Amino acid sequence: MIWPTFSITQRTYGRRCTGYFVVIASLLLLMAGSACANQVTQQQAEQGLQWQQTLVSAKGATVYFYAWGGSKPVNDYLRWASKELADRYQIRLRHVKVADISEAISRLTAEAGSQSAIDLLWVNGENFSYLKQQQLLLGQLWSHIPNTALLATDTLPLQHDFGVAMDEFEVPWGVGQFNVISNATLFKQSADTTPDALSTNNTISPSSLLAAAKRYPGKISYPRPPEFHGTTFLKQLLVALSANDQRLLHTATVDAQAELLPLLWNYLDQLHPLSWQQGRAFPSSNTEQLSLFQQQQLAMVVSFNPNQLVKDQQSARLAATSQRHYFAQGAITNSHNLAIPKGAQSPDAAKVVINFLLSEYAQQQKLTSSWGDPTVIKPLVDDAATLPAQQELHSSWQQVIEVSWQQRYGA
Amino acid sequence: MATTIRRLTLSVGWLVVGLVAGLPLFGIVMGLWPTGSLSWPDITRFLTYNGLATSIVASVFLSLAAPLLALYVAFMVYSQYRFSRRWQALENRLAPLLSLPHLAVALGLVYLFSPSGMLWSVLYGIFGYGAPAWLGLPRKSLLTMVLAVSIKEVPFFLLIFSALGRQLAIKNWLLQGRALGYSDAASWWLLVFPAILKQSRLALLAAMAYTVSVLDVSLLIGPNIPQLYAVVLYHWQTGFSESDQAQAWLGNVVLLVMLAVLVGAIYLHEGLVLMRIHFNAVMANPLRIASVGRLFTLWLTAFSLLTVAILTTFVLWSVGWSSQGAPSLAKLSFSLWQEEWFFIQGPLLNSLGIGIFSSVLGVALSVLALELQHQRQRYLPDYIWLMAILLPQLSMVYGWQIAHTTLAAGYHSSWVVLAHLPFTFAYSYLVLRGPFQSVNRHYEVVAASFGYSYWQRWFKIRFVLLGPALLSALAIAFSVSVAQYISTLMIGAGRVVTITTEAVAIASGNEQQIIAVYMLVQAALPFIVFLIASLLAQRMRGSYHVAYH
Repeated sequence: MIWPTFSITQRTYGRRCTGYFVVIASLLLLMAGSACANQVTQQQAEQGLQWQQTLVSAKGATVYFYAWGGSKPVNDYLRWASKELADRYQIRLRHVKVADISEAISRLTAEAGSQSAIDLLWVNGENFSYLKQQQLLLGQLWSHIPNTALLATDTLPLQHDFGVAMDEFEVPWGVGQFNVISNATLFKQSADTTPDALSTNNTISPSSLLAAAKRYPGKISYPRPPEFHGTTFLKQLLVALSANDQRLLHTATVDAQAELLPLLWNYLDQLHPLSWQQGRAFPSSNTEQLSLFQQQQLAMVVSFNPNQLVKDQQSARLAATSQRHYFAQGAITNSHNLAIPKGAQSPDAAKVVINFLLSEYAQQQKLTSSWGDPTVIKPLVDDAATLPAQQELHSSWQQVIEVSWQQRYGA
Repeated sequence: MATTIRRLTLSVGWLVVGLVAGLPLFGIVMGLWPTGSLSWPDITRFLTYNGLATSIVASVFLSLAAPLLALYVAFMVYSQYRFSRRWQALENRLAPLLSLPHLAVALGLVYLFSPSGMLWSVLYGIFGYGAPAWLGLPRKSLLTMVLAVSIKEVPFFLLIFSALGRQLAIKNWLLQGRALGYSDAASWWLLVFPAILKQSRLALLAAMAYTVSVLDVSLLIGPNIPQLYAVVLYHWQTGFSESDQAQAWLGNVVLLVMLAVLVGAIYLHEGLVLMRIHFNAVMANPLRIASVGRLFTLWLTAFSLLTVAILTTFVLWSVGWSSQGAPSLAKLSFSLWQEEWFFIQGPLLNSLGIGIFSSVLGVALSVLALELQHQRQRYLPDYIWLMAILLPQLSMVYGWQIAHTTLAAGYHSSWVVLAHLPFTFAYSYLVLRGPFQSVNRHYEVVAASFGYSYWQRWFKIRFVLLGPALLSALAIAFSVSVAQYISTLMIGAGRVVTITTEAVAIASGNEQQIIAVYMLVQAALPFIVFLIASLLAQRMRGSYHVAYH
């Protein structure tokens, strides 16, 4: 059998220790004191009788993990995780690749809470809110999964998912931070900015974007809402144009809409004629925008992964001169999460998978692999590596923006 | 006794055929059964959705224009090549483009021909200029969409004509035309086209139904201000709020109405064209369209070049060639192929197995359906047999999924074969109906007079005469089975992974290199089958097969 290049020899001693512990807990107790001292809390949690039972019943099970399959780095990471889980816990993790996670949501709806084909799914936003409301998800995940104690809840917004309380129905897995990747020249102003000033200050604003669009007409665009990258782009603009109006964090009242939305529409009225295809067409997704960017049709692409620039430069998918920017008010930050359906056939094994994916070892690998997805656990959170965060808008704004955008620009 | 057994056999036959042909209707009823109540505000919101009318009109236009354009082009090509020495070459060269997914063809086309696309860059690059920005196929427009779909459908129609043409006395008709003083070009239109048009009604219907509901290609190259209707509907269907679901329900009803309009348009078009042809024939007016026919002698060259260009693009992408930085040979490597091959084998074998079972069963059942109708001397309306192609797939398969989970039936591959069966059945029916009905009865009558029994006549005469058509039907049914994404995923539930469930998921990410690898592998199976079918078919003769000289 040929496994991808990551091999067991790459593990450091300390991490290896964590792994074996879960399989043969008693043996590891002897070693825990010295080699894994910093993981004492984790071990204590795992010692819980309940967790031991979970581990035992998880052995030999297969976990069908429904997750978007469009990204090679993510797929590669999950292959790595499958190998690790098979070695450590005798669990078979099967990545069920879907073109859109709505395919999983529709299956859960069809199953209506009865025995499910899905054991684990990668979800957030509206889809989570729907599943939670329909009571299709297994609860109390945080209480049952020891490594949730590691979650960096005090530094990252991990309790809510697009304004909806997680309430232990899902567990954060990674963090998205909205950023803009551009070519070297797009945001460079001719005379008044020195290269040094640019490299230290990578923030952009609606006005700098408009100025760039004027300098390079037809080179700017964003994914067509309701694609969520596109909607988030509009949210970032709205936050900036309204000078961070606090009403955006609460339910979108009629008054607030009447006062704030015109700022966005006035701006877009100026931007669209200068955009790609004069605003008569938009990329369908951020991935399509990325390929247009790679083909130099566009000078910018939006992303939710703050490390995408570096990772894609390493793999030569993006030019070495490309640059990352974020909106001056902060990058809209949210998490993408893992949930277990109520009718899952191997819920225990799914919990063990989540627990592993939250471990320092797996989170570190996620960050350093070609995916580069930011971590959600305390031991690895590094302020320097993350962008200044802007809180996600209240979920009601999402629909308001999408519907009004469609009414104004959709036809 | 014998009559009882005969009747029993017939009833069982009807039952089996009816069940498979009825599965789509069952699915759509289950899938679209209203769960909530529809309120007036829902209807108002639906009707006031900005751009709805334009979306619908654009989608109907596209679904009419692209398949019809393909049909006419295919007919002109057919008329130029059928009795030329290059016909065999043409048949063989259809296979690659037939087997590439629509999305691959669309990706290749925009990459090559869009403004600042590869072709223009290279052409102008030779002279040291940059290509002008206006030159080329717009990235997202109705025109691009019409072109991409029709380019992809031409080989499909040619395959249908090829299966059909062996049962039609085309050579005799041309001779008769000549005797009456018509040029061959005029005879093709006046005598052959009416027959071909009637017999390819089902193929036209299938192409239209596909075009009106295709999602991935629409997202990539369709206009999106406003979006094509399939995309609008998809957004409602994948939004799970109550208002979205109400919109999706109404949207599906509208889609059904659109399909009914398309069915009507096919008959209308047929009627108008036949009227026109009659008129011209009676008045001895020259057909202007006949004069452009000669142009299509160039088609094989153009088509081959396009196929080679698209395949080259994909092969280059798959070994890591990209527009980033200066292209150099040193960067190219097969490492991704090696890496992925381990993971591709299983899905590939699944596709192969499911494809073989479902296509053989589908073809057998459609022959059964035709024979049962043949014995009754009455053919049921076409749309009854083609419901799997006509009805909106997402809602239909969703209905099956509800039934499948209610049965708690497990996720064995045989369920996936069953889920593919309505599609392979419908496609093989559409390929076979024309040839089956046009088989020359004369041979069977002669055989009967020699004392051959019913079954002997059937297998020794009809089956053999239908050979080439059966091969085309098998190849198309197989490729249809391989291409199934929604039904495989929804019924197989991730337990049954095929090359297409992998490829479609990966294609949603727009990563050139890996998409190229998976799409080439996905195209490999149908390619082999199409090629085998066309090579075997050339060794067989239809009722009116005339050897080339």
